[in-house]
Amino acid sequence: MSLESSTVSSSLEAIRGELSRAKLSTSTLNFIVWIDDAARRDWVLERAAMLHEKHPSLMLVFDHTGTHAGEATVTTAPRGAQETFAIQGERVDVDVSGAGAESVVGYVSALCSPSVPTVMWWTGFAESSREIFYALLPFVQTLVFDSSGGARDESALCKLVGFHREHPDVVLHDLAWMRLLPWQDMIAAFFDGDPDLLAEVYTIRKLHIASGSDSEAFYLAGWLASRLGWKATGRNAFTDGRGETVAFERKREGEMRRVQSICLDSETSWYHGEVTDDPGVVRVWVEGQHAREPRLFPLKAIDNASLLERAVLEPGNDELFETALRSAGTLIGG
Amino acid sequence: MTTTSPAGAPAVNPLRKGLASDRIADPCNIVFFGASGDLVKRMLMPAMWNLRLEGILPTSFGIIGFSRTEYTDDQFRDEMRKAVEQFSRNPPKDPLWSDFAKHVFYVSGDFDDDNCFRELREALERNDKELGTGGNRLFYLSTPPSVFGKIIDKLDKDQLGPRDNKAGWTRVVVEKPFGTDLDSARALQAEVEKVFDEKQVYRIDHYLGKEPVQDIMALRFANVIFEPIWNRNYVDSVQITAAETVGVEQRGGYYDNAGALRDMIQNHVMNLLALVAMEPPVSADADSIRDEKFKVLRAVRPIEPARVSLDTARGQYDAGAIAGKAVPAYRDEPDVRPDSNTETYAAVKLWVDNWRWADVPFYLRSGKRLARKMSEIAIRFKPIPHRLFGEAGEQLENNVLVMKIQPEEGISLRINAKVPGPKMHLRAVSMDFNYGTGFGVVSAPAYERLIGDAMRGDATLFTRWDAVERAWVIVMPILERWQSTEDQSFPNYNAGSQGPQAADRMLAMDDRDWRKI
Repeated sequence: MSLESSTVSSSLEAIRGELSRAKLSTSTLNFIVWIDDAARRDWVLERAAMLHEKHPSLMLVFDHTGTHAGEATVTTAPRGAQETFAIQGERVDVDVSGAGAESVVGYVSALCSPSVPTVMWWTGFAESSREIFYALLPFVQTLVFDSSGGARDESALCKLVGFHREHPDVVLHDLAWMRLLPWQDMIAAFFDGDPDLLAEVYTIRKLHIASGSDSEAFYLAGWLASRLGWKATGRNAFTDGRGETVAFERKREGEMRRVQSICLDSETSWYHGEVTDDPGVVRVWVEGQHAREPRLFPLKAIDNASLLERAVLEPGNDELFETALRSAGTLIGG
Repeated sequence: MTTTSPAGAPAVNPLRKGLASDRIADPCNIVFFGASGDLVKRMLMPAMWNLRLEGILPTSFGIIGFSRTEYTDDQFRDEMRKAVEQFSRNPPKDPLWSDFAKHVFYVSGDFDDDNCFRELREALERNDKELGTGGNRLFYLSTPPSVFGKIIDKLDKDQLGPRDNKAGWTRVVVEKPFGTDLDSARALQAEVEKVFDEKQVYRIDHYLGKEPVQDIMALRFANVIFEPIWNRNYVDSVQITAAETVGVEQRGGYYDNAGALRDMIQNHVMNLLALVAMEPPVSADADSIRDEKFKVLRAVRPIEPARVSLDTARGQYDAGAIAGKAVPAYRDEPDVRPDSNTETYAAVKLWVDNWRWADVPFYLRSGKRLARKMSEIAIRFKPIPHRLFGEAGEQLENNVLVMKIQPEEGISLRINAKVPGPKMHLRAVSMDFNYGTGFGVVSAPAYERLIGDAMRGDATLFTRWDAVERAWVIVMPILERWQSTEDQSFPNYNAGSQGPQAADRMLAMDDRDWRKI
């Protein structure tokens, strides 16, 4: 199926006029994408389009980068009377560089269908967008961030911790957290099965994480802390339920948004995981009393389009994530 | 060392709690009997590989192939790699495949050879020790049905059954057909229950692993709009179709002793009937659903012998063309008797004698070498009670809800709508929902879902003995009649056609017709 695009002025009337010419539409969600970083614009659009292609939706792209001032592009299914097609989705790209919160809200309230959920992927953390972000919040059921999407440091994660503290009821997903699922699986698998191994998990004394950006390290540490009852005593240490210290070392290494390696030291053994030469495969092994031969695991579905899809398909609060986020917040003092 | 948390909590892995992947199976060994056969190559080993890639296989797992063909472990691994290359949606890729292959082993031997079963036991014990498979064992019988009983007996005698396994669980997956008639099914069940409890037996019907089949439950019990009309007050009839374009392929020897009634109607199609006609279960657990499926099958009235010729139709394909390509007659297929009386097409009219479905006919049909591959359930609703639109209403079609199972996967509702214009012209239109486009997700092959469920101990999508037995009770009068009388009209439909005229006549007697294949 080919889609038809037309560029019109960014006035609401012009956009609605174009949309009304579409033959038919089927929507499973409203998908709002906010972009305020010109350098990441194409990257974001490419991933958003992948989700839009798979899930019939109204995709509303707010471009705050000043690339196409005053214009809107409306993309719909073919409008020819004789054409047939199986899947429909509509996309409206609006330049909102000079627009205020009121007019952006106007687009959302006029164009989004009230009968399907609204998911917003907020790709920026610019202070200049803050007012618009809060104005759009009441229209959104699910909010998607990526705290390691634009920077290696912990600044975006700190903002997210603060936001969640202020708005604990908002359904929130962070792609940086969602990328960690295969690592969480691998770490959990160290302690599966044998009861002796299970006891080991409560004797971890040191945690070492190397990652390309900080969010991943804080999230993994926060997750372990929330599951094992550790309390942060600073940026580099926890105490466990028995009052023992658990040291936390992290190193910034490798590709952004990726964990490079982890090591958990227990009283008897060392549990390792490390990305191999193939960046999609992790080698895990254990040294010490519970030594195990190296095994390989795939890093499955950690591309951004897959993560976005998971965020869309899991519409409720993710308690595990929220607990880990609060725990990471304690660790970084956010 | 303690196995409880410091707070004295039970010994469960605290890191698993809440993870999206918490449905990972227990560490276990899976033994494929008949490992050199087609099913293992086409379906089962590709399913295992994909389960590995999906992260559903546990960290500690072993796969042991068992069959007569002579292979070393490495030769079997090579064969499986070729099979995965050819049939899997994800090809084997190193270094992951090499890591996976280290967990694959092979035992060569006959199904009645004690030495081979001893070798199998040693392999299982070695894997428990070296791979950490924890004594959990899943035996998968992908062999000809004639040796099911023999293998189960050997498992018990060679101390591989659940009675002798104190370390972990033991389960058995049994491929269809479960028996060749009611007596043989009961005899096989007697063999099975000597060794396994019902909860340890997973009778597989791969149709139940298909996403649209599972969606029948969602459509019925996750929507409020269908339940009020899902009964004799609004439903005129139900048609269930499982049509294939393929012939018997390499299975001529098996199929010529089975036929469409045994191969499809008794299991796949009867399961679809149960899902569409059953009452709402009290919960979504395995036994609640299977209780309801059994109850509705119990309400299906077996056809009286005197009515078999009226309420059924059988056919056998002649030569013809499928998609423009000439194909041979059934009797010319390899390993088929030249004078075979086996049906390659079966159509059956059944009644469900309960409050909900009294007087609603269920028409079931399945056949090979038909015009199109198509499996669906069509609910045809009654006509409107009063024609409001005069002449325009004379051509009104009955509403039809179609649950499409394969190759398309989705739901279609046929309704009447006004053609735009000054006059009241009405026309039937379809509202279509397609899984691929609606959710943008390609369904995983059924075997992946079902093997994963068996490893986790979830029997929801497997058939319980009472339902299997009841399905045989339902088809036995037909089977007996067909076996005792030759159909002189065979072959009676051309390959690539809609099926035999006898099936059309069966519906014409009810003033109805089949949906086009």
